[in-house]
Amino acid sequence: MKPDVRPPRFARWLLTHLHPDDTLEEVEGDLDELYEHDYTRVGKTRATMRYLLNVVSVLPPFVRRRKCKQEYYQSPSILHPDMLRNYFKIAWRNLVRSKTFTTINVLGLAVGLATCLLIVLFVQHELSYDRYHAKADRLYRMTLHAQLGGKELNSAEVSVPTGPTLMQECAGVEAITRLHREGTFIVKRGTETIKEEHVVFADSNVFTVFSIPLLKGNAKTVLTEPKTVVISETIARKYFGEQDPIGQTLTLGTRGLFRVTGVCSDVPSNTHFHYDIFGSIRSVQLRSTWLSSGVLTYVLLRPGYSIDDLTAKMPKLVNKYVGPEMQQLLGISLGEFSRRGDRFGFRFQPVTDIHLHSNLNAEVEPNSDVKYIYIFSAIAVCMLLLACINFMNLSTAGSAARAKEVGMRKVLGSVRQQLIGQFLSESVLLTFMALLVALGIVAVALPSFNQLAGKQFGLSIITSGWMLPGIGLVSLLIGLLAGSYPAFFLSSFKPVSVLKGAIRTGTKSGWLRNTLVTIQFSVSVGMIVGTLVVYQQLHFIQNKKIGFDKDQVLVLHDTYTLGPKANAFKTELIKLARVLNVTSAGYLPAGASNSGADGFTPEGGKQQSVTYRNQTYYIDENYLPTLGIGVAQGRNFSKAFPSDSAAVLINEAAARQFGWKNPIGKRLFAVGNGSQESKRVYTVVGVAKDFHFTSMHQRIDPLVMLYGHDNYQMALRIQTADIPRLLKTVEQRWKAQTNTPFTYSFLNDRFNTMYRSEQRVGQLFGIFAGLTILISCLGLFGLAMFTAQQRTKEIGVRKVLGASVTGIVALLLKDYLKLVLIALVLVSPIAWYTMNQWLQDFAYRIDIDWWVFALAGLLAVGIALLTVSFQSIKAALVNPVKSLRSE
Amino acid sequence: MRRTYLGEFEEVVLLMVAILDGDAYGVTVSQAIEEHTGRVVTFGAVHNTLIRLEEKGFVLSELGGATTERGGRRKRLFRVTALGSRALQEVQQRRQELWQLVPPGTLRLSGL
Repeated sequence: MKPDVRPPRFARWLLTHLHPDDTLEEVEGDLDELYEHDYTRVGKTRATMRYLLNVVSVLPPFVRRRKCKQEYYQSPSILHPDMLRNYFKIAWRNLVRSKTFTTINVLGLAVGLATCLLIVLFVQHELSYDRYHAKADRLYRMTLHAQLGGKELNSAEVSVPTGPTLMQECAGVEAITRLHREGTFIVKRGTETIKEEHVVFADSNVFTVFSIPLLKGNAKTVLTEPKTVVISETIARKYFGEQDPIGQTLTLGTRGLFRVTGVCSDVPSNTHFHYDIFGSIRSVQLRSTWLSSGVLTYVLLRPGYSIDDLTAKMPKLVNKYVGPEMQQLLGISLGEFSRRGDRFGFRFQPVTDIHLHSNLNAEVEPNSDVKYIYIFSAIAVCMLLLACINFMNLSTAGSAARAKEVGMRKVLGSVRQQLIGQFLSESVLLTFMALLVALGIVAVALPSFNQLAGKQFGLSIITSGWMLPGIGLVSLLIGLLAGSYPAFFLSSFKPVSVLKGAIRTGTKSGWLRNTLVTIQFSVSVGMIVGTLVVYQQLHFIQNKKIGFDKDQVLVLHDTYTLGPKANAFKTELIKLARVLNVTSAGYLPAGASNSGADGFTPEGGKQQSVTYRNQTYYIDENYLPTLGIGVAQGRNFSKAFPSDSAAVLINEAAARQFGWKNPIGKRLFAVGNGSQESKRVYTVVGVAKDFHFTSMHQRIDPLVMLYGHDNYQMALRIQTADIPRLLKTVEQRWKAQTNTPFTYSFLNDRFNTMYRSEQRVGQLFGIFAGLTILISCLGLFGLAMFTAQQRTKEIGVRKVLGASVTGIVALLLKDYLKLVLIALVLVSPIAWYTMNQWLQDFAYRIDIDWWVFALAGLLAVGIALLTVSFQSIKAALVNPVKSLRSE
Repeated sequence: MRRTYLGEFEEVVLLMVAILDGDAYGVTVSQAIEEHTGRVVTFGAVHNTLIRLEEKGFVLSELGGATTERGGRRKRLFRVTALGSRALQEVQQRRQELWQLVPPGTLRLSGL
């Protein structure tokens, strides 16, 4: 080319910078040749013009790019069916080849998944409470929050007139409905008598306010008349079989004959009440005072009306209605009342919150606690996490074996995405194998789980609705999640270095594996600590001196049904050889009881005018000896003193509250319910030693015991080893008197059932702790196996150089021991804090000792050592000749 | 096999590659087009078409040896593949068949 025949430089610059690199050389040459050709033919100017035009035509976006070689061979998409099939085939072969690894992973994941699944069932059910009502978002329960005589009162029941008044005064209220409870009833139909526990008296709109479908009967008219009743399907079948129950009658205890006007479907299990007999509220005489005990009141708001507006109106309502009544009953104005530090007010709680967030007096059923939902959810997540960690650890630890495979695949043209797909499909396959095992475990464990959790789940709950697709999807996610780290880690190996054997794969990611193992053991140690603390506390409350002798006390229920024959029956019982003492009592610790509360003004106390609200119940002279309650001062009631009808016994807590050093002979003025005859004056004749009449969650409250006969139930102090025979005798006597069913309980059993929820937590904690340890140990076992394999040569060399077997075992164990100890240090504060929070619920509780942590740590270390030492000892015993022979 | 279409300009370029018989590269092809059809086209059009023909499998390309010409830059030489020559023959045959179907006299009457 002649030096002056040169295309413009800036055009050339454009070309070299913007034209695709792979075709630059030939295009540049071609254009030069063309320019030269034009130059000689048509002159410089036109040649330059054409050159410029040509350059532009080969710049982006006009130029077409040459496809590179790889694009000519289109490798199939990583999601191509053939590829997927290949992934799973290879995955299956790999899983089958390394059976130990697969078993460990599948077992761990299956246990994790099964636990998770059960917990999900439980949590889902707990969260679904009362959400099915069509108007659940506008439905509230009214609650009473008061302080009377320095005593806090938070009750689910509000005064009887509150509901109707609210309906009258507040425009935003669409409806109110009330439930009035009277405990258990002996229901009679013809000659058949059955004891029914779930009886309630309700307003007629109860079925529309709560969405409980009425199967028979007119929703508008059922329960409007007195002496009518609506029964559930189950009850209808129980009493009437196939007959139509409408128009039939049932006798409800002492309330007389009730006509059935409707049948409703059974109240769903996720409701905060489970009544199956609804009597009309007009059948009972309700007290119309604001200051006496009340009824459950539910408020349905109009759409768009805020509950805060209603709450804001409450103080005014209290002023208007409660004020005058207080003046009349207590003789003080509301202002004076609040000046003394006392309160009286109403609040509202959403119905959907009752089951998990409400813990008031007079709850319908003992509610659950949202705390447990959190705890169990956390446990479920932890379990899954642990199982996933196992998978990750074992995959990366075993990477040495897979590294060569990865290298070879890459050399043969595998791209990284395909390798990732390969490893992910392996983990997904594994997860689904685990899922199958997990479903099996769930099917087997469901009955015992139901018993433990107090639920009635059938297998159908898993196969119904979104559950199965959901489980599948979650398993897929878990598979992808657990497989992601190994997949990216393994597929990143460089073929050259791997095939040359340059990097010792598997040691590189050591820190991560160590972290993961530490996490696993943190969780395990935490669970062990939790279990220990719960059981310690349980042991403490069940064995704490409760102030009376709860063993060998037989309680006969519903003795009030005997009516006037009760006394004769009692004397008959005392004559029995095995019965030491008998008392009729309204109140017995731990169970359904008749007790009341009354206001008392003590004489000569710290503050003359203070009224205390105290628990009261009626007892007879045999109560204290029967239960074995000691008398601290003064004497028990006695028939020998006719004046005892105006005498009271108090407990030591009450003496302290009244501020009496020497209570004997002091007088107590009862406030009563307003009527003249209820305002009485009592003389204290004795002080009973403090005894726990409620659970250990509460302090021993001040108590006033009045002398009188309350035939609600009977307690028998017995002394026999042959309890069945005694029961038979008592039952015979009972049957001779009445045809009411014979029901009984033992006081110590009742005490134990009081702590059922704590026992349940303890059991669950124990089981979960066991499972987490199992999963962690499975992982550790696998890890130890891999490490021992990897260090075979090292161990061989050490042995040749004179290391002892114990030395080598110690060397191998040391690593794991370190991890467990770190875990212990990390988790101890968290566990201490959490368990302390749990203990706050008890008025009487243990302190968490340091040895709990030591024991938990020791257990964890012991279990870890047991798991690891088998592999370690095996590795240490191998003859070095064998391990060093091949190279 | 998926039927591959041959566009009008593609056909021209492919024919030029066939005509040049082993000496076809960007410059010669554009010059041949100008010479034989009188069409002046940009180099980019030829370049792109050659690439597309290669993707379709009608031509094969190869970088020629380095020479002292054009500053030592290599040429990319194209030749027609069997598939390409079959495509050309098919096009010609289809044309022929269609010509046979034109009734005699129609084209004369249309005023050409």
